[in-house]
Amino acid sequence: MEEKYFEISAENLKKFVERIIADNFEVIAPIDKDGDTFYGKISRFEEANLDILLPKMSYKEYLLPKTETLFEYSFSGVNADIKDGLEAVAGANQKRVIFGGRPCDAGAGPIMEKVFNWDYKDEFFNERFKNLTIVSIACEKPDNYCFCTEMQLSPESSYGSDILLKKAGTQYFAVVTSEKGLNLINPYMNFFKETTKAQVPADKDWKKIFEIERTKSFLDKNFEHNYFQDRFLSCIGCGVCTYTCPTCHCFDIQDEGNLKEGRRIRNWDSCQFGIFTLHTSGHNPRVTQGDRYRQRLMHKFKIYSEKFDKYLCVGCGRCSRNCPEDIDIKEVAKDLADMA
Amino acid sequence: MENIYLPKLAEIKEIIQETADTKTIRLTIDGGSIDFLPGQFGEFSFIGEGESTFGLSSSPLRKEYFEFSFRSSGRATTGINSLNQGYKIAFRGPYGNYFDTSKMKGKDLVFVGGGIGMAPVKSIMEYCFDERDDYGKITVLYGARSVGDLLYKGIFDEWKKYKNTDVIITVDPGGETPDWTGKIGFVPTILEQLPLKGENSVAIVCGPPIMIKFALKSLEEKMGFDKGNIITTLENRMKCGLGKCGRCNVGSVYVCKDGPVFTAKELESLPNDF
Repeated sequence: MEEKYFEISAENLKKFVERIIADNFEVIAPIDKDGDTFYGKISRFEEANLDILLPKMSYKEYLLPKTETLFEYSFSGVNADIKDGLEAVAGANQKRVIFGGRPCDAGAGPIMEKVFNWDYKDEFFNERFKNLTIVSIACEKPDNYCFCTEMQLSPESSYGSDILLKKAGTQYFAVVTSEKGLNLINPYMNFFKETTKAQVPADKDWKKIFEIERTKSFLDKNFEHNYFQDRFLSCIGCGVCTYTCPTCHCFDIQDEGNLKEGRRIRNWDSCQFGIFTLHTSGHNPRVTQGDRYRQRLMHKFKIYSEKFDKYLCVGCGRCSRNCPEDIDIKEVAKDLADMA
Repeated sequence: MENIYLPKLAEIKEIIQETADTKTIRLTIDGGSIDFLPGQFGEFSFIGEGESTFGLSSSPLRKEYFEFSFRSSGRATTGINSLNQGYKIAFRGPYGNYFDTSKMKGKDLVFVGGGIGMAPVKSIMEYCFDERDDYGKITVLYGARSVGDLLYKGIFDEWKKYKNTDVIITVDPGGETPDWTGKIGFVPTILEQLPLKGENSVAIVCGPPIMIKFALKSLEEKMGFDKGNIITTLENRMKCGLGKCGRCNVGSVYVCKDGPVFTAKELESLPNDF
């Protein structure tokens, strides 16, 4: 769809959100909880914290839940009755709106979509992804951990958002990029005033501190480089980087239940855990934490980009902000680019 | 909408106790085998305990059943191990690439297997037996740590009956029994004693990493096999088998989708991540 542009006052934005809540949309926004900020359901506009740069976690769980039922089973004699878990997912997210997320989080959806659709199609992901409507707000002040510009996005990127809001004084400009976005605002057009692209403030000239292509070209040639073993000696393998990452999608499949009934589930998993690649024989291709962090870097900045396009990273910096050992992936990617 | 993680139920038609802790199980779905190609694998599960990844070990041309061999070690395999004939397990697959028989036709073939690594070799080997006239001389070298660790003991004689086929069975030194009539020696050692030439030949090798390493070296350096004509399989840990769960990759190669079958030449270009 060709982008459309609208103006909306701060007051009308509030009214718009209150109206869609009243019309039974589930609105997910950054909310303060236990001294931190997470995405969660709001029942009033004021509950949304739109000043926070980034909530602790991304909203990945609305596309790829932490735990998801693939099927349920029950046995009678030797015969198993299997109930397809997809049935419960049909129509998921149809009335769900993510409001007030950032461009980096929005960029993660289309990046994961490629993984879930090369060759075999993962309809669990697809059903959620196609229905979820994403209304993001452009960032005005990224922090020192942010590097979305290096990751081919920007604090004002509309990639992956159905609607991007850009603040200008006391009002917002809404950049509508998709039918889904247009369908959301169509019944509430009295709050919006259509305008032209020329009226929308131009994006700032965001500066990069390194070129990600150079990071990739280092990774292309230096699988055995000492850097990985040395730099990640301090990594304790907690996996928080992968759990807070909006694009990390690796999962485990487990059965939960007894011999009569139960379910097969998939759970978030992490390449930072030693058991992730452990063979039954005891052999493990990735023995050290250096091997495992290297895999994370390789997957994000080399493997993904060779298989698809772009990179498996949106530069949100959550892995760095949450790392107990203060491993800053932006600094690491820059180190690698500098060594290329 | 299709759920790619949904298994089919497969009935246990026959169980062969191969060694103290390994079995071969023959399965049927809708009364027969499934469509697959030699070298492909599947996800087998005891529902309630979980899935495990195994190569299919029968010839796809034998339509009455399909089979896999496994060692009982974790939750899923211990569960499968506990089942009798007539019970059902769950199966997803077949997945992955396969041995390209068009490149093997008319050539001499060498099948080298070690331990339970013989399972995927058995599939392509029996496929070639089933179309015996399409291939030249066939040499089979199979070894295990001890006589007790050899799988497929019950069908060695059947393999030997095919024309122009040599079957050599060996056990590691110390693994022999008083009545053992086969060879004694490590697989790569015995391999070097065989009168093999790389010319117009294809070698298929599968087994423990250390065996593969030395067998590949012998085939390349001593017998002059072209790296493109030495074929092996990688056995990385998998969950989905569909290129999504993210753990079986070796560099940019996903063993579940780009493999599990690789030539020695392809392996050479991969990073040391397996």
